[in-house]
Amino acid sequence: MPHSTQLDKERITTSTPESEAGVLVVRRHHLLVRCSHWLNVPILLGLILSGLSIYWASPVYQHKPNPKTGSFDPLADIGIWICVHVPGLHQYSSPPDWVYNHISLGPGMLAVALRLHWLCAYLFMLNGLVFVIGSAMGGGWRSLLPRRTDLRDALKMFRYYLGVPLAKLTHRSWPHPRFNTKYNALQRVAYFSVPVAGLLSVFTGWAIHKPTQLHWLTAIFGGYDKARIWHFWLMWFLVLFVVPHVILVLADGWDTLRSMIVGWSTRAERSEDF
Amino acid sequence: MNLEDEHSAPEADNTSSTESVSPRKPASFFQEQPPQVMEVAPQVLRHWTRRDLLLFGMSATAAAAGAGSLLPQATLERLGIIHGNKNWPNKEWLLNRSLRIDDDVAEALYSRNRLVPTYTKSQITPLRNNYLGATPDASYIPEWRLTLDGLASGLSVVLNIRTLLASFHVHEQITRLVCVEGWSAIAWWAGFRFDDLLRAHPPMSQAKWVRIESSVNLGPWGNPDPYYVSLDLSTARHSQTLLATHLNGKPLTVEHGAPLRLLVPVKLGLKNIKAVTRITYTKDEPSDYWAKRGYSRYEGI
Repeated sequence: MPHSTQLDKERITTSTPESEAGVLVVRRHHLLVRCSHWLNVPILLGLILSGLSIYWASPVYQHKPNPKTGSFDPLADIGIWICVHVPGLHQYSSPPDWVYNHISLGPGMLAVALRLHWLCAYLFMLNGLVFVIGSAMGGGWRSLLPRRTDLRDALKMFRYYLGVPLAKLTHRSWPHPRFNTKYNALQRVAYFSVPVAGLLSVFTGWAIHKPTQLHWLTAIFGGYDKARIWHFWLMWFLVLFVVPHVILVLADGWDTLRSMIVGWSTRAERSEDF
Repeated sequence: MNLEDEHSAPEADNTSSTESVSPRKPASFFQEQPPQVMEVAPQVLRHWTRRDLLLFGMSATAAAAGAGSLLPQATLERLGIIHGNKNWPNKEWLLNRSLRIDDDVAEALYSRNRLVPTYTKSQITPLRNNYLGATPDASYIPEWRLTLDGLASGLSVVLNIRTLLASFHVHEQITRLVCVEGWSAIAWWAGFRFDDLLRAHPPMSQAKWVRIESSVNLGPWGNPDPYYVSLDLSTARHSQTLLATHLNGKPLTVEHGAPLRLLVPVKLGLKNIKAVTRITYTKDEPSDYWAKRGYSRYEGI
């Protein structure tokens, strides 16, 4: 940003001595967005931890028992693989349980997992409701709404992200595509699909939870068993969103992470060179 | 601090600065929201950052401690957070509260007039024997009787399967049985309506609940382990709540609760008690085998 350093120098020289040179700050995230964003972290973690324990009570995806391990569950296979290939885990008492012991409450926890799931689910719905009402009233939803030009712009951003590591290594300039909107096209697709996935998680959850009283909802998702599969894969969608989300935020720098906590950003211009 | 003053003051008394600032915020830059660029002194910014990060850190710590305390003791021990701490504070109230709320929601959703979906014979799926313990020996069947208690007459009524089948009209239905574990099965049932039994042997006037018991239920090592469920009378009176005697066109086998089991498709499978031996109408909510083990008491689906 050669532009801004020049500007800052100019400001220092021209401002009066008693008023220190100011930093340009732009309001970025509304308090409502910040609160609902961070509340989702423990709530979704609780939903996933308890959800996997519930899934374990009757796994959907099963294959013929492996003659060597006796496992019939692909998630248990991953646990076995980890115990075999990661040093120091060979003595683990039950390798098939590894995944469930480490990324869920553990097997045989159905009663407590259900209670934790209901608690987190009601909090998730409450949080989502406040977010939806707040963004509808404040108009913040507009910045998340995908646009017609987004496909082309999203590909541009995708190309940019792919090229960043190489450009950094070779010290070559790799300009960030310029957009005159709050979020770029790829961000819009991601940030719009996450609330939609959250909403679908809630609907599929109710479809599984009340398949007789809300049987019309269960029918929308193709029946009870299919609704369970929808619910399961929506969880993976949210997990798969979080991975690049966290990587890109950390790669983008402290200002981006801080803006989700404090609400403002010192990058008055978003579309600057990386 | 007045942000408007901060924003306007330097522009008013410093023309060169204003000119430099203007190309940074063209009219089209913040299309969705009016531009809210403001100028803040660095030490104020540092103060804001410190204050907000501290607040965030404290909230995150509190949330982590609160959420961590809700996890089961076995999970915390496995994660190495606690080591066999027997004095772990009782944190069940919040989880129990959410379970009660969920039960209230289920009760509000229930309607005696809403029928559960029925299926065709081609949609029938295998139904597994999900007896938690050992399956009882068929030797109890010849001696089997159903006892009714808590009746308006104040008497106990004992009935055998012949009398029951002769007294009531048999209804058929193909409905889905949904287990709390997540699996389900579509099965073709036949039996008489619980409502018809209630009409023939009316419960005492204050009765709101029914306790249904199976004395022949066994534990995992074949030890006697009576099974009992609570059911609200409103659900018992639902037209699809059957006391089933037949499965897939044949009399119930021992695996599926011969000679008489409860079929209540508006509840999870665990309320669908097999080999019913006693039905008691009560004023207060009776205890329930699985509710005692941390599951919901209502289990309406």
